[in-house]
Amino acid sequence: MARYVLRRLIQAVVTLAIVVSLTFVFGRLSGSPAAILLTENAPQSQIDALNHRLGFDLPIWQQYLNYMGGVLHGDFGDSYRQPGVPSMQLVFERIPASFQLGFAGLAVGLLLALIAAVSIHLTGRRSLRTIFLGFGSLRQAIPDFFFGLLLVLVFSVGLGVLPSLGNADWRAMVMPVLTIATGQFVVYTRLMDNALSEQSVSDYTRTAYARGERHGTVVLTETLPNALLPVLTVAGINLGTFLGGLVIVENVFAWPGLGQLMLGAVYSRDFPVVQSALIIIAVIFVVANLLVDLIYGLVDPRVRLS
Amino acid sequence: MTTTASPATVAAPRARRFRITGPLVGTVLVGIVVLFCLLYPLLPGYDAYTQNLDKMLLGPLTDPAHPLGTDALGRDEASRLALAGRITLGIVVAIVAVNALIGLVIGTSAGYLGGKVDTVLMGWADVQLALPVILVLIALSAALGPSVWLMIIVLAATYWVGYARVARGTALSLRERDFVIAPRIQGASRWWTARKHIMPNVAVQILILASTDIGGVMLLTSSFDFLGLGVQAPTPSWGLMISEGQKYIRQAPHLALVPGIAIFLVIIGTNLISQRFTAEGSALFRIAKKGKRA
Repeated sequence: MARYVLRRLIQAVVTLAIVVSLTFVFGRLSGSPAAILLTENAPQSQIDALNHRLGFDLPIWQQYLNYMGGVLHGDFGDSYRQPGVPSMQLVFERIPASFQLGFAGLAVGLLLALIAAVSIHLTGRRSLRTIFLGFGSLRQAIPDFFFGLLLVLVFSVGLGVLPSLGNADWRAMVMPVLTIATGQFVVYTRLMDNALSEQSVSDYTRTAYARGERHGTVVLTETLPNALLPVLTVAGINLGTFLGGLVIVENVFAWPGLGQLMLGAVYSRDFPVVQSALIIIAVIFVVANLLVDLIYGLVDPRVRLS
Repeated sequence: MTTTASPATVAAPRARRFRITGPLVGTVLVGIVVLFCLLYPLLPGYDAYTQNLDKMLLGPLTDPAHPLGTDALGRDEASRLALAGRITLGIVVAIVAVNALIGLVIGTSAGYLGGKVDTVLMGWADVQLALPVILVLIALSAALGPSVWLMIIVLAATYWVGYARVARGTALSLRERDFVIAPRIQGASRWWTARKHIMPNVAVQILILASTDIGGVMLLTSSFDFLGLGVQAPTPSWGLMISEGQKYIRQAPHLALVPGIAIFLVIIGTNLISQRFTAEGSALFRIAKKGKRA
C-alpha cells in the first residue's frame, strides 16, 4: 500500500508541475503586458521600468525559474489591475461561494440520480427508465446557460418567486443548483443504471436470489454498493469539466464565485488572477483524484497490488 | 421476487422501433433549422443590419414585416437568427471537420505505424482531463484577448483526440487483414498502404463520429460565445444573441428564446441521429468518449 500511495503522490506532483508550467507558457505568449497596463503613448522609460518590475526584462529561462520559485514560496504574483494585491488572495476570497454552489449542485444531482436509478431497478419498470433517460436526453440538448435562463424566465419573470441573481440567501441558490444538478443527473443516472444492470446479472447476485433473498434486499445490499464504485471514479475524472461548467452557471446567475472572477479577469486582461485560479482548480482536481484513487486502493486490493 | 422485476427484464435493450424513428425525427429537426438559415436570406424581407428605433423589442407575430419580432435596436430578429445561424453552424462544421481530419491522420499513423506517436497520443489525453477546454480558452483569452479565431484554434487543437483514438483502434484492427498485407508483400511502402488501404476504411468510422459530434461542439461553441470568449459583437451568433437577450429577459423574452430554441433543435436533432450509431457501435463510442471531454 505504501508504494502505491507514493507512486500516486509522485504522479500528482508531476501533473501539477505540468499545469503550473503551462500557465507560465500561456502568460508569456502575449509578451510584455505593458501594452495592456500603460497608456498607448507611454514613454519608453516607463515601459522599461514596468518590464523590470515584473521581471520581463530577464531571459526567458530565468523568468521561468523565478516564477516556479515564487510558486513554491506561495508567491503567485500581484494582480495587474489591483496593484499590490496578491492574485491568490483574490482567488481565495471567491472559493467559498464556488465551493458552496458546486458542492450543493453535485450533491443534489447525485442524490436525484441515485433515487432515479434505484427506483428503476427496485420496481423493474422499463417505463421509468424511458421517462428518466428521456428527460435526460432533453436536458442534455439544452446548454447550461440557456437552461438557467429558462428557469429565470419561469421562476423570476413569470412566477416572481426567486431572485434571478446574486447569492443573498438560500432562495438565490435554488436556480443555479437546479441548473447544475439536472445536468449532473443525466450523466450519473445513465452511469448508475448501467452499473446496476451489469451487477444484476453477475454470479453473486444470482446466488443471493438462489438463497431466497427478496429483490429489494438484493438491489440495496448486494448490487448497489458495487455499482457505486464506478460513480466515484467518473466523478473524480469529470471534476475538471464540472469546475469548468461552474464558470458558465456562475456567469448566468451573477454568482460571486471563482468563475465570475476569472471571466472578469479575462475582460480586464488581468492574467495573474486567471493564472492563480487555474492553479487552484488544478490542485483541487489532482487532490480529489488522489483521494478517489486512495479510497479505491483501500477498498479494492487488486488496485493497490497491481 | 416478482416476475416483472427479474434482472433480465430490467436490463433489456431499448425498443427497436425508436432506433429508426429517432434518426428520422432528428434529420427533420436539423433540416428545418439548416434550411431556414440557408433560405431565409434569399427572401425579400431579409435585412439583418438596418436599425429601426421606432420598432424596438417587438414581440413575435405582431408585425407582418418582422415574423419573429425585433431586437433592442429594432433589427429584424428572423434575419439575425438566419445570419447568426450561418455563422454558428459554419464555425461548428469547420471545427468538427478540422478535428476529424487531424484525428484521422494522426490516429491512423499511430495505429498502423505504432511507436512513439502511440505513446504521445495516450499521454496527451490524460493531460486534457486535468485541463478542460474551457479553462484553457479562459487562460489564453486572458493572455491574448478573446477572439473567435482563438476559440477555433483551441477547439481544433484539443478536440481531435477522440477521433484519433477511434482511428487508431480501427487501424489496429485492420493491420493484419489480408488486403493490407498483400500489397506490402508486393513491395508497396507502409505509407502508401496506410493511405490507400487503411485510411478509406478508417474514414468511414470518422465520418460517422463527426456527424454525431455536431451537437456537442455546438453546445461548447455557443457557451463560449455566450461568455464572450468566442464570436465577438457586432458579428452575431446564437450564443451571443442569447447573451444580449438576457438583458431584456423581462421586456422581450423572445430575444433569448428564439436562438435558444434553434440551438436546442440542432443539438437534440444530431443526438437523435447519433443514437442509431451509439446503439450499433457502442464499443466504438466508448473509446471515443474517453478522449474528449470539454
